[in-house]
Amino acid sequence: MEMKKMAEFRVGRGHDGPARVGEYIMNDVAFETPILISPEISRANPLHYMTLGRDPTRQRPMISTIPFTMKLDELVKAEPNDSDSILLPSMISFSSLSADAGTLLLRHQIEFINSVKDTIDPSRLIIRVPENIDFEVFESYLHDFHSMGIRAAAFTFDGLLGSVDTESIHLRSALPASWLSTALGKITPSMVPFLFYTGFDIIDCGYSIEAAVTGTRLWRNDSERIEQGAFHRFCSCIHCVSFSDDSNSKLIETLQNHNLDVYNEILSESIHAMKNGRLRWLVESMTHVSPNHASLLRQVDKQSYSFLEEFTPTTGTDVVPLIGPESYNSPVVRRYREYLEARYTPPSGKRIVLLLPCSAKKPYSDSKSHRRFLETIESALGRTVGSVAQVILTSPLGVVPRELERIFPAANYDIPVTGDWDAEETELGAEALIHYLDKIDSESTVVAHVSGGYLGIVKSAESKVSQSIIYTTPETSATSWESRQALHETLVDLKNVLQLKDTPPRQLEEIVRATADFQFGSGAGDMLVPENAKLGGKPYRQIVCRIEKEQVCSFIASSGSISLTLNGAKLLAPLNRYWVRLDAPQVKGGSIFAVGIKKADSEIRPGDEVIILNNEEQVIAVGKSEMSGREMCELPRGRAVSIRHKMEG
Amino acid sequence: MNDVLDEMQNLVKQASSTARGVSIIKRRAKNPNKPAAAWTTQARIGTETGTALSIVLSTEGCAHARSSDGGCTMCSYLLDGTSMNPTSDEFLNQFQEAMKKLENATSPLSVKIYTSGSFLDTDEIPIEARNLILTEIANDERIKEVVLESRPEYVQDSNLEEVRSRLGDRAIELAMGLESSSDQIRSLCINKNFDFATFKGAVEIGKKYGIGTRAYILLKPPFLTERDALLDAQKTISDAIDAGATTVSLNPVNVQSNTLVESLWKTQRYRPPWLWTVVEVLQYAHDAAKGSVKVVCDPAAAGKTRGTHNCGKCDQSIISAVRQFSLTQNIHAFDGLKCECRDLWNHCLTHEDVSLLVHR
Repeated sequence: MEMKKMAEFRVGRGHDGPARVGEYIMNDVAFETPILISPEISRANPLHYMTLGRDPTRQRPMISTIPFTMKLDELVKAEPNDSDSILLPSMISFSSLSADAGTLLLRHQIEFINSVKDTIDPSRLIIRVPENIDFEVFESYLHDFHSMGIRAAAFTFDGLLGSVDTESIHLRSALPASWLSTALGKITPSMVPFLFYTGFDIIDCGYSIEAAVTGTRLWRNDSERIEQGAFHRFCSCIHCVSFSDDSNSKLIETLQNHNLDVYNEILSESIHAMKNGRLRWLVESMTHVSPNHASLLRQVDKQSYSFLEEFTPTTGTDVVPLIGPESYNSPVVRRYREYLEARYTPPSGKRIVLLLPCSAKKPYSDSKSHRRFLETIESALGRTVGSVAQVILTSPLGVVPRELERIFPAANYDIPVTGDWDAEETELGAEALIHYLDKIDSESTVVAHVSGGYLGIVKSAESKVSQSIIYTTPETSATSWESRQALHETLVDLKNVLQLKDTPPRQLEEIVRATADFQFGSGAGDMLVPENAKLGGKPYRQIVCRIEKEQVCSFIASSGSISLTLNGAKLLAPLNRYWVRLDAPQVKGGSIFAVGIKKADSEIRPGDEVIILNNEEQVIAVGKSEMSGREMCELPRGRAVSIRHKMEG
Repeated sequence: MNDVLDEMQNLVKQASSTARGVSIIKRRAKNPNKPAAAWTTQARIGTETGTALSIVLSTEGCAHARSSDGGCTMCSYLLDGTSMNPTSDEFLNQFQEAMKKLENATSPLSVKIYTSGSFLDTDEIPIEARNLILTEIANDERIKEVVLESRPEYVQDSNLEEVRSRLGDRAIELAMGLESSSDQIRSLCINKNFDFATFKGAVEIGKKYGIGTRAYILLKPPFLTERDALLDAQKTISDAIDAGATTVSLNPVNVQSNTLVESLWKTQRYRPPWLWTVVEVLQYAHDAAKGSVKVVCDPAAAGKTRGTHNCGKCDQSIISAVRQFSLTQNIHAFDGLKCECRDLWNHCLTHEDVSLLVHR
């Protein structure tokens, strides 16, 4: 019996939000994803689509469409290429009729699959996702499709960046991680980074032709009507070298080639940005193309936050630019605020909470202003300095406790600093401060050494906190000599009034505990750093934690995160978090692949420190995750964990 | 698979009814002695050129449109009618009122009777009224050709025999809206509520009495891409000719008030057909007709956003070519039509099929 031809999508390594690189293998030809698809085949665009029985077929694999009205015998007659992938039939506009209409279209596709599955392998079929379908209903249908062997879906975009497009992205977030996802419709170049970011692997650039035949030259952010004798922009591309606006047939060809190149440029820029962890920045930067671009991102951030966050790495050594309001709820930022609220416990024994402004240089304590603050604090409090908790106010992260200042993204973010904060930033900051002070003894005293926008945060939080707040010099900049003098005096007064006792700094312990809680969840700090733990090293380099001379973990300043040893992993295992269960007794080699994973904690994000358990629930290794926990469960292949330490068998 | 298609069809019925809404109830009672519309045009009658009178009788309206089945997805001719069904005498008055337009016309004349429903449906036009009107025609020697509109289910031996005997040896055509020869498209996209077999049966009955069939073919019902629509119209024309139609009349959809098509059109989910598609289909029809079947097209609202249209620059030249062709049957009427929007149309044909996004 002849082997049926298959299609396969392989997700490659690397993450920046739901964006991924991969390979779509159609029979024996592999296409690297993300990839553009168009009606025309060319060197720049190797993948194309056509409609069965209506367009000429070619030898190369392509994506072919079955018209809704095509009967099965006509399909057989149309002889789809046996390496093609096939878009299932659906009816244009039908799903707008009612909430049930989309469901009927999906049921029709299921019946269609059943009628062709003996001749066409389901891996080659692509479902068409109708608009106007309920998210949960869609999820349940996906389950059916998945069990039938379907591994790809196509969504339609109308290019208006309104409800249809938002809905398509939301529905896309329901796909299993292993599925190929295709965006069809009117997609302008400025949409490409966004669609790639939201996890689309094949992107339709058919609009390049529509634009060309209507005399429109596309650019990255906008477009230009070509009219004879009018002003034309300079273009350095090879097609436009011979550009002239008077010969119509030549002009369309020139525009078509130019437009396709614009799509290719922006796609390759997006891939590059993803590999550097700057895709989110690229997407945010393009929100200024039009108000609709901005509202689309805000809608998707709100509606599909958990989807975006799930695939966003928790580590990164690069600078994270947070430039406009689109950054306030970007996954790394919102996740930081949520982790801080849910996981962080302030160190014990603090009687004063000192609020400080942030600095442009990160980590803060490396900045000139913070070095001076630290000098002032030490000279005022001397041996009682351990009774002060330092908290940095900043936007859009909210608050950063001193002991977490090296964590991602607190050590990496870069914002335009003007001192003016908008209402949303102030609210986010105030909320974070309220949550923080909720965890602090209400008898403690809060010293607010801030002015300007920072002062606004404290003022708007004040009525909702139980501690009393002392303002040092709210009228002048916190870094000025006078202000620091005032801070000095305030702290000296408090030292006397509160009769502070000698409290040696426990900086190393505080950093490791706070980082552990933040990274692994509440309670992790106490498990890794019990009373008998011995800590050594420098906060700006590395802190090693030992229990009875056995190293359990170390804090790496450059990444702001904790690496576990096997002993540390064993200590943390009862917390029942960040675990990866294997089907095997032990780990072989330096990596764990998704295929060998039985189950993984759904909290795992790319870049997390994870604990590997064997089939007998024993800790057998620790490593760094390369993908999210859901992907470890859903992907049939790919590197899931890079091993750091393992049991030697 | 039929269950799903049936459910889809039910949804279309519901949506048609919903789109129709209260518009039927809100219809006003019109003067029962005046037709809804009447107009004359130059037309080819037999081998000569003469005058054709089109009459739209004001009736209670099409039974299908009034029923709980919701009527057709693109049609609101029902709204041209009246809420009070006229008496037989009033129907005769309507006819005579319309005939005044032919007072000074000379032979040959053609009379086309439309009702926005079925002339042969006795619930809509009582037998008495039908016979009064047919007798009036019989008494006018100038009238050489008669066209009567009806849904095929009302076409029977008994009524055609009656029609033939009253009208003598005049050329008679039954005008029936076949719309599409695909049962799936006719039921799912149009909600027409009869099948192709019924249409063919009616054509056969007509043949027995020497009555020809003018088949109305709908170009671009909703839920089809531009290319679906183009191919379906072409196939339907071939099928209608094979079934024995004597005239094919191509009707590009125009967006009528209170229809499902209108509700789709308002949310960017429907575009009336391109004029290029009309031309393409007519050229095909001319070939398929092989000179023995007349091919006509009188597009409503052509060149407007609610009717078949192109880019706006070339619309008028194409519309007049279509009219010219209908009158002369000369295919060279389409020679030399050209516009830069033709490339865009070509792109829409391929891209709409793949993306399932309505290209406006």
